[in-house]
Amino acid sequence: MIRKTLRCLMLAGTVLAAPLGASAQVLQVAVDQSPAGLDPHLVTAFSSFQIVNGPIYEGLTAVDAGLAVVPSLAASWTVSADGKTYTFSLQPGVRFHDGAPMEAADVIASFHRVMDKAIGSPLASRLATVTTMAAPDAHTVVLTLSEPTAPLLSALAGIAIVPRGMEANKDALQKQPDGTGPFMFKEWQPNGFILLAKNPHYWRAGLPKLDGVKFNIVPESATRQVGIGSGQYAMLPNIDPATALQLKGRPGVALQQTLELSYTLLGMNTSKPPFNDPRVREAVNYALDRGQMVTAALFGAGVPGGPLSPALTQWAVPTSAFPCYRTDPAKAKALLQAAGLTLPVAVTMTVLPRQDIKDIAQVAQAQMDKAGFKVTLRNVELGQFIQDWRNSNFEMFASANGGSVDPDDYFFRTFRTGGSTNVFKYSNPEVDTLLDQARGTVDQAARKAAYDKVQRVLACEGPVAHLAYAQLFTALRGNVHGFRIMANRSLAGLAETSVAP
Amino acid sequence: MRRVLVPRLAELAVVLFGVSVIVFLMIRLIPGDAVAIMLGANTEVTPDRIAALRGRLGLDQPIVVQYAHWAWAALRGDFGTSLWTGRPVLQEILEHLGPTLELTLLALGLGAGLAVPAGCVMARLRGGWVDGAMRVVTVAGLTVPSFWLGIVMILALATLAPALQALGYVPFSADPLGNLGRMVLPAAALALPILASLSRLVRSAMLDALGQDYIRTARAKGLAERVVVYRHALANALIPFVTSVGITTGYLLGGAIVVEQVFAIPGLGQLILGAIAERNYPLLQATILVVTAGFVAVNFVVDLLYLALDPRVRP
Repeated sequence: MIRKTLRCLMLAGTVLAAPLGASAQVLQVAVDQSPAGLDPHLVTAFSSFQIVNGPIYEGLTAVDAGLAVVPSLAASWTVSADGKTYTFSLQPGVRFHDGAPMEAADVIASFHRVMDKAIGSPLASRLATVTTMAAPDAHTVVLTLSEPTAPLLSALAGIAIVPRGMEANKDALQKQPDGTGPFMFKEWQPNGFILLAKNPHYWRAGLPKLDGVKFNIVPESATRQVGIGSGQYAMLPNIDPATALQLKGRPGVALQQTLELSYTLLGMNTSKPPFNDPRVREAVNYALDRGQMVTAALFGAGVPGGPLSPALTQWAVPTSAFPCYRTDPAKAKALLQAAGLTLPVAVTMTVLPRQDIKDIAQVAQAQMDKAGFKVTLRNVELGQFIQDWRNSNFEMFASANGGSVDPDDYFFRTFRTGGSTNVFKYSNPEVDTLLDQARGTVDQAARKAAYDKVQRVLACEGPVAHLAYAQLFTALRGNVHGFRIMANRSLAGLAETSVAP
Repeated sequence: MRRVLVPRLAELAVVLFGVSVIVFLMIRLIPGDAVAIMLGANTEVTPDRIAALRGRLGLDQPIVVQYAHWAWAALRGDFGTSLWTGRPVLQEILEHLGPTLELTLLALGLGAGLAVPAGCVMARLRGGWVDGAMRVVTVAGLTVPSFWLGIVMILALATLAPALQALGYVPFSADPLGNLGRMVLPAAALALPILASLSRLVRSAMLDALGQDYIRTARAKGLAERVVVYRHALANALIPFVTSVGITTGYLLGGAIVVEQVFAIPGLGQLILGAIAERNYPLLQATILVVTAGFVAVNFVVDLLYLALDPRVRP
């Protein structure tokens, strides 16, 4: 009887809600967080990043689904023999969403904007070695570097080209983006949705296939799941294994998956005891059972990982090559004793306030307690965590980091002496030399050899115990075609996406 | 009338001033600052960049100076701009106010509106099985939190009517029927606990009133039972009810925050939660001030209602 009444009520609701049925060619996407702004040179939050980079803006280069660097707004480029001069030929016939043509002056203005201290773009360091920029004609850009910079091409994929005239304007693009991408900004109802419309003048012929994309802000996970089950939402991009597991096998819902570039880690402060001793850091690695972490905290949807994601097939050294990745509590205890410490060694681990990290921290605590440590978990609020992280105010922390396509982007700032995110105060002359060498050559084999060595050093005695790379999922309705999930979470694939009626 | 109004308005000003000071201090004393979060955990950060950003946001000034600046601007109606989107704070609040007001009013109308007849029925059928059953249901309604109820409703909807697409929010002006269709579930989730507590209150107030001497007198002089119950008993029972509705409205705003999250409604709740997470000081300050002003205003209206309902408190 109650069920019947409910049904009646719901039917009444259906009648009310029926005229709302989404028009077929606007893709309804549900995301959990509202973007904090839309300026591609200023945003750092992932919620903003995925909407602007790819769908709205493009760089000179792009990264394809296999994580290789491919042409984008630059149709081709040449690099001088000394690796210090890059000449880009721009794609002809590209227009910004406001109709203005995209030319060399726009590219140079965009780079100036990123490098300008007053703008304060977090991307500035990626162009740190650029000394001069020239535009011999409207479709050629020449960059001269102070030293060879191998990661430049992959870094350029993340630097959006914006129209000239924005160099000193910090506000306009936050609210009203103007790029060259397949979709143009149409409407933003804060905390409600962001609506993008098809760019009719898009330079890649026949694209995009959709008439628009609507990013609905839906904070509650259960609501998103119900929404994709009912077909109200056609895509839940970049979801975690726990959510994906619940959607598996649901009628009308298809899952795509890839290995993440981002990873979970335990960070150690090498400027104070006990982690100033490399043997203690090695002991942590022997104490951990990464396979168990994947099973317990990631529901089996992931792989144990070293300093680089296994998704970076051209760079990553397999974990089987790291001796300390064998779980051996006895060996860990022996290392701690060799370091002159009395067991158990008490350490405090600050935990990033995110459910998967809390789970992983608990597993790590149990494993380390069996291997001569006594771990106390410290749960803090996000702002506090970031502050402590930034001020190196920790003994040890459990956290997650977004990964990079080029090893230099992660290693150089994180592990080189004095690096800008080297909060561990790690300093190893051997690693410094190797990182400098690899940055200064464009010879792929030489770079690979240097990074192989770096990974072997970092894996066992580095300031970070890399734990696992999770499987990343995107849920789609069965009638959504052409989208490809990417390890760096980019939604650039929306250009090729279509919805069958 | 002025003897009542003037002191209440003065009180309102004092409360708003006090809240503005407390909120200003509180959000600056919680650990973690806007600049650290703004620059993010995974980007290139240098001390000079932090200092530059701090200067741009005015966070390098003494806290008293910051408050003076803010209060002076606020008095002139300028609440500053959101740290992240660069839009005027007032505009952001106005955009988010509508859905929350609508949700609160619907829930209040539903909860308080149904509580009166439900309470009367329970009081008149006191001790019978209907009264017993309704009391059990209301206890359940009191103990179930709205957000849980909301999630269960959404899941039930997905099971019973999988094709129904009624999540999210559309403005009333754009699509009145669609707006109401989507508001039914969140308003019901929010209204149920109110209905439960208020109907119990009406029941006991009614029982109390029905036991009074004036009711016996009314019956003795031969008035119809309908008149006795609704004119004499209910009118008196409504006074505690009105007080309770006033307080409930304040809690509704709090409950709406959680229910908005569940049903993806872009209201003040989402605005406040986002502002806290981002340490968006100007936005947070102004939003909390608006909610406080709302709370105080509701209590003010309740006081006025007393005057209308109860001749004894008229000056």
